[in-house]
Amino acid sequence: MTLPLAVRDLRVASAGGRALLDVPALDLPAGALVGVRGPSGAGKTTLLHALAGLLEADGTVRWGETELLALGAEGRAAFRARSLGLVFQDFLLFEELGALENASVAAMFAAPVARQAIRDRAADGLRGLGIDPDDARPVSSHSGGERQRIAVARALAGGAGLLLADEPTASLHRDAADRLVDDLIRLVRETGATLIAVSHDETLIARMDRVLTIADGRIEGGATHEAAA
Amino acid sequence: MIDLWLALPAWAQDLAILLALTIVPAIMALLVLRGYAPGALIRAVLRRFGWTNAAFVALIAVSVGLGVGLIAQERGLRQGTAQAADKFDLIVAAPGSEMTMMLASVFLQPSNVALIDGPTYAEIATHPQVRIAAPLAFGDSWEDAPVVGTTGEFARHLSDDRIEGRTWQAWDEAVAGAFVPLAVGDRFLPAHGLGDAAEEGVHADEATIVGRMAPTGTPWDRAILVPVEFVWVTHGLYGGMPPEPSEIGPPFDPERFPGTPAVIVRADELWANYALRSEFTREAETMAFFPGAVLAGLYRVMGDVRQAMSIMALVTQGLVAASVLLGLVILMRLFRRQVALLRALGAPGRFVLAVIWSYGAALIAAGAVMGLGVGWVAAELLSRIVTARTDILVVARLGWPELHLVAGFLCAATVLLIVPAFTVLRQPVVKGLRA
Repeated sequence: MTLPLAVRDLRVASAGGRALLDVPALDLPAGALVGVRGPSGAGKTTLLHALAGLLEADGTVRWGETELLALGAEGRAAFRARSLGLVFQDFLLFEELGALENASVAAMFAAPVARQAIRDRAADGLRGLGIDPDDARPVSSHSGGERQRIAVARALAGGAGLLLADEPTASLHRDAADRLVDDLIRLVRETGATLIAVSHDETLIARMDRVLTIADGRIEGGATHEAAA
Repeated sequence: MIDLWLALPAWAQDLAILLALTIVPAIMALLVLRGYAPGALIRAVLRRFGWTNAAFVALIAVSVGLGVGLIAQERGLRQGTAQAADKFDLIVAAPGSEMTMMLASVFLQPSNVALIDGPTYAEIATHPQVRIAAPLAFGDSWEDAPVVGTTGEFARHLSDDRIEGRTWQAWDEAVAGAFVPLAVGDRFLPAHGLGDAAEEGVHADEATIVGRMAPTGTPWDRAILVPVEFVWVTHGLYGGMPPEPSEIGPPFDPERFPGTPAVIVRADELWANYALRSEFTREAETMAFFPGAVLAGLYRVMGDVRQAMSIMALVTQGLVAASVLLGLVILMRLFRRQVALLRALGAPGRFVLAVIWSYGAALIAAGAVMGLGVGWVAAELLSRIVTARTDILVVARLGWPELHLVAGFLCAATVLLIVPAFTVLRQPVVKGLRA
């Protein structure tokens, strides 16, 4: 289930008190594809982490009816497990596990009744991304492109309607990156999920509904442009 | 409740303690793992740092094993020495040190002691409640084997009548202990004295081995038993008689009896031992004592040492547990990132705890179980060394105390493991993701 986002007065400070992120207001409709770009250290990843409830911040981050920052660590984790998938620049898979085990890792801590659904969705997702779910090889033997596709399958296996991606193509060579962008956009469109992707990759940014530019912890403008596709 | 506990047989108490100690980790496992299926992930973590984990398990195994081996060995030694004294109900000797006398007669440790004269011996031997009164004559040897003069009756008593061949029937026949490198039919010439002080060529009389005792688990297994008359004759002590006595064994003529350092007494009845002890405890004449009681006294003195050892073993196990936990804290830093990832993917804290705890508990349990094996091997090796050095058969088996020690270690370590597991869980997710 996808959710609209409403951010108000979001402020993240460093341990030293320096402002890392300052977002007075940000509203995104459910199912939006949003690119986030900006120079290194501008606060892109911090924004993503704040939206995922991974760090302490002031203000409100509201996903649908859920006020994320008001929840404790366990509540936020439960929200992520239910509604939010993450994709990282360097994949962050469990190297010793196979593709399906990685994609369905959430089944390990899901309620027993929900486990099979997660595994099925993970297997379907892997197949849809061109990866054989029955291949038991540890993912360390897969190529970078394959690994990132496994990570995408993992992010969607929980049935999450929100996908946050942090430089998903930055560790891939051009061909693999292009393929991943195609797959990612297609899957998100198919499922109607919201995608917020931090990226330097213009190929990815160009496919988004809306692009935010961050500089010095602030969102500049807020230009909306039609998807290139 | 206490009454009920005391009414239980020892094995039931031991079993109950063991169950109590093992049920705690089991309950912990149940509490952290309930409702989750982290098996694949735990196996992945164990495999990921395979060598580090293996080294860690080996370290735990060795430290647990040494503690186990030591306490098993200590008990084995205590049982072995008690066993060795088993055949020596009551010893009557000239007044002196009971300890010296016990070491000389039971453990064949040579020492200079005063003698009991013929009339006194006759009095003991003819006492109505005395079944066996064996004089002992020490001082000679053949190679490393002490040659001990005594009676045929005592040889049979010592070996429970398990003698291959027969006991002596002539004054120059002998019965070998189980491990003496002489066969039935071999002849040997005793040297005067023992060990480095032995002088060859002093004695001229050879004796023939006619029998061999089954192993007794005592230093007597390395001794050669001869008729006491043989020792007297070779030393020219059996005065006024033909050089080759035709009749051997008791009764001995009190007038010609040259004296004996000790008489091993076996009474008809168990209770009679006490009566005999008080009867032959005479100031300036004889002393009578139970070697078992002397050993018990020794254990009492050593009991404090044992207590200290037990405490040391416990403290050591505690330190091992502490270092294991510290090691795990360091080891767990290796997968800070995986932990952060699990949190980012929405895993509940208890699931992360379950993975970390199970990982650590697997290492500790593997180390503890292997530690039992290491302890068994260590106890076995130590027993062999002690047995070879002392000729006291020491059999160190793993028993309840060892199982309790290992289970206690497992229990304490797995419970305390929750602390490092929590510290890993509490680390900020974002930092972990960037680690």
